[in-house]
Parts: sequence; C-alpha cells; structure tokens
Amino acid sequence: MRIDQQPAYVLHARPYRETSLLLECLTRDHGRVGLVARGVRGERARLARAELEPFLPLALSWRMRGELGTLAGAEAAGAPQRLAGDALLAGLYLNELVVRLVARQDSHPELFGAYALALGRLAAGESLAWTLRRFERDLLDALGYGLLLDRQAEDETPLQPQADYVYLPEQGPQPWRGQPGPRVRGADLLALAADRMPDPEGLAALRRMMRAVIAAHLGGGELRAWRVLGEALRHR
Amino acid sequence: MSTASKVLAELIDALRCLPGVGAKSAQRMAFHLLERDRDGGRRLAAALTAAMERIGHCRQCRTFSEEPVCALCAGAARDRHVLCVVESPSDLAAIEQATGYRGLYFVLLGRLSPLDGLGPDELGMDLLRRRLAEGEVQELIVATNPTVEGEATAHYLAQLARDAGVRATRLAHGVPLGGELEFIDRSTLAHAFGGRQALD
Ligand SMILES: [Zn+2]
Repeated sequence: MRIDQQPAYVLHARPYRETSLLLECLTRDHGRVGLVARGVRGERARLARAELEPFLPLALSWRMRGELGTLAGAEAAGAPQRLAGDALLAGLYLNELVVRLVARQDSHPELFGAYALALGRLAAGESLAWTLRRFERDLLDALGYGLLLDRQAEDETPLQPQADYVYLPEQGPQPWRGQPGPRVRGADLLALAADRMPDPEGLAALRRMMRAVIAAHLGGGELRAWRVLGEALRHR
Repeated sequence: MSTASKVLAELIDALRCLPGVGAKSAQRMAFHLLERDRDGGRRLAAALTAAMERIGHCRQCRTFSEEPVCALCAGAARDRHVLCVVESPSDLAAIEQATGYRGLYFVLLGRLSPLDGLGPDELGMDLLRRRLAEGEVQELIVATNPTVEGEATAHYLAQLARDAGVRATRLAHGVPLGGELEFIDRSTLAHAFGGRQALD
C-alpha cells in the first residue's frame, strides 16, 4: 500500500540497520506509523537527517509492508515550530506520551490536530502545564479513554465546584472522604471540561490526577519524561 | 551463512557487531585475515581483549579510560576553569583535533531522550552538578549536537550551570563554511537566521 503526501510529524528517530533510521511518526489519517528511512545517516546524508527532526510539519510518502513502512519522500509542510527551553522538554514529553499510549496503525483522526495545536501553543509560549493538561485530555478522548469531568462516577451526581473529589483512573471522580488517590477540586475538573485554565493549585492537582490516569493506562509504568520535565521545572 | 568451519562461522557472525558491517563485509574481513594477515588478526584479537577488559570510564569526565582518572583530567597542562560538555567520546576527539581548546571535558555518553530511556541519571548529571558545586569551573561550554534532543540537553545543562552560578556558553551553529543558502536545510537556515550577529 502506497501513501502519498500525508501530513505528519516525526516523534522519534533511532538508528536502524547500517545507514537507516527508524522513525516513529504521527500521521493525520494513519495514526502512529513506524517508517524506515534508508540512507539518511552518515556525513553525506546530513541534510536529509535535519529534515526528519521532531516538531517539523512534514508531508510524508511511504510504502507500507507489514508492521513497518519504507519512507519514499519527505517534504516540508509549513513553517517549523521553534520550541526552545522548557517548551522543548515539554515537546519531548508529548512525543513520549504519544509513542507509549498510541498503538501503531490505529487511526485517531482528532489526535493529529490536537498534537499540532499543542505544539503551536508550546511554540507560542503559552502555559506549559495548561497546554500539557489540555493535550492529555484530548489524547485520552481520541483513544476512547475520555475522562469523566462533570459528574460522579457511581451515581451521576453533577460535580460541585466547592467539593473535593478523588479521581479513580478506571472510573472517575468520587467524593473525597480521606481515601488514597489523586485529590482534586470539583471546580478544577469542571474547568478542564470547559477548557478554562484553573489556578496554579488546580493545575498542580490536575497534573497529579493525569499522572495517575496515564500510569494506569501504561499498566502501572511511568514516563521517563516525567523525571526530566519535573526536575527541569523544579529549578524555577 | 554456511561455511565448512564452525569457528569461521562464529568469527563472521562476531564481526557483524561492528557498525556498517553486514554479512558480506564480515565474510570478506574474515577471509582476508585468515588468508593474508594472520599476524594482524592476532594483534587485533589481543588489542580487542585488552580494550574490552581494561577500558572503563574516567571518574571525573566519563570518557573512556583505563585509569580511574583519564590522562586529560589528571594532566596539569589543561585549564581547569573551563569545562566542555559533549555527547560522546567521538565528539571530544573531534574538538581536540579541530580546535585549540585547552580546557577539560565532561562526556554525557548520550543526550536527554525519554524514548531511548536516557534521563539525567543515565547522563551523569549528578556528577556534573557536584563538579560545578566545587567552584573550580568558571565556564561551562555546552557542545551537545544541534538536534532536538541535543538542544533539550543544552537547556538542561544551562539550568544546571545557572544553579551553580557558573557561566554557560553554547557552540554557535549555522550556515556551514563553504555552503550556499539555497541548498541548506530549512531548520539550519532558520536557526542561523535566528542567531544572526552584528557585523563589526
Ligand atoms: Zn577524564
């Protein structure tokens, strides 16, 4: 199967065989795909390699054969998003999140747009924490693991802004009665649902909640970028 | 690979661990050593064994060294106030050969890359933080590669330096000497454009 001029981003590249790269890509219509880019390593291939860095909007063409595709062409598809500083670390976090949570070749039409939007927000210098929470929310939605953000898990009672809840990863918000788990205010869950940025305390609570949810979807594992990002941002 | 000798088959298979060596090249190397250069083969075997047994990492800069502290770090001839951070020993060698740099190095043996399992611990960032806290280093030259991951690493190193009150500098990158703008990839050109400098 040959795919032409598909909007895509490279999420990660690693050396493959002698002079090739194995690219993990997020594409608009084909979800995450693994593509082998032949002959792009070594001194004479420096230009091609630079064009296949993460965060560049690309139009990729490839031929699918089994689990992996073979890259047939890569063109620029728009101006590159210049991520710098902490936004760059946050971008690496987005990429790890997508590679770890999204299976290859499952198409999730909304995911590509959400990813491009998040990159644009990082490049524009918007709040890192809020940009990441919005992307995590949209990613979980696109994968069919959407969060329950407006009512209680057990009895569908609407959430109260003033009340505290514990977010159970597999179920949703439960009134807080001192039980363990990520504790978050109703107002912050409602803000996330309405796409309204909460205060710093709310953002911190939502971060802890998202980590618990994502860890549950990873089967209890954790993301390496949490450590990198956490340590970098602690230095503020 | 079918050969008459089991030992030969093992040699050919072992040679394939070298970068850029496939089945065909491995076979050619093995035949060459056996047919024409047994002394060279014995020397290679001895050197490989010695290197694999004895070469570890320098306790101070993490580069390859058979001593606990490498010759560069132990020597008195280098400027100990300047520390250049590189991703790999081959980057260190490139800087040694191309520049007149007289300071010391710190070798990360990688770059921040969550998806490759490389975080601050794997890159020896604690060792570097302690080194900066000692107060001897006055300038940290960040010479990681101009890739996304190299830039992320540079950012992390800049924070480390700032926390320790050490000045951090970054290698300039842009248009390669002898290059023509129209043939330069757009990322490099965008970077060079963003980092333009005043003409004196
Ligand atoms: Zn050393």
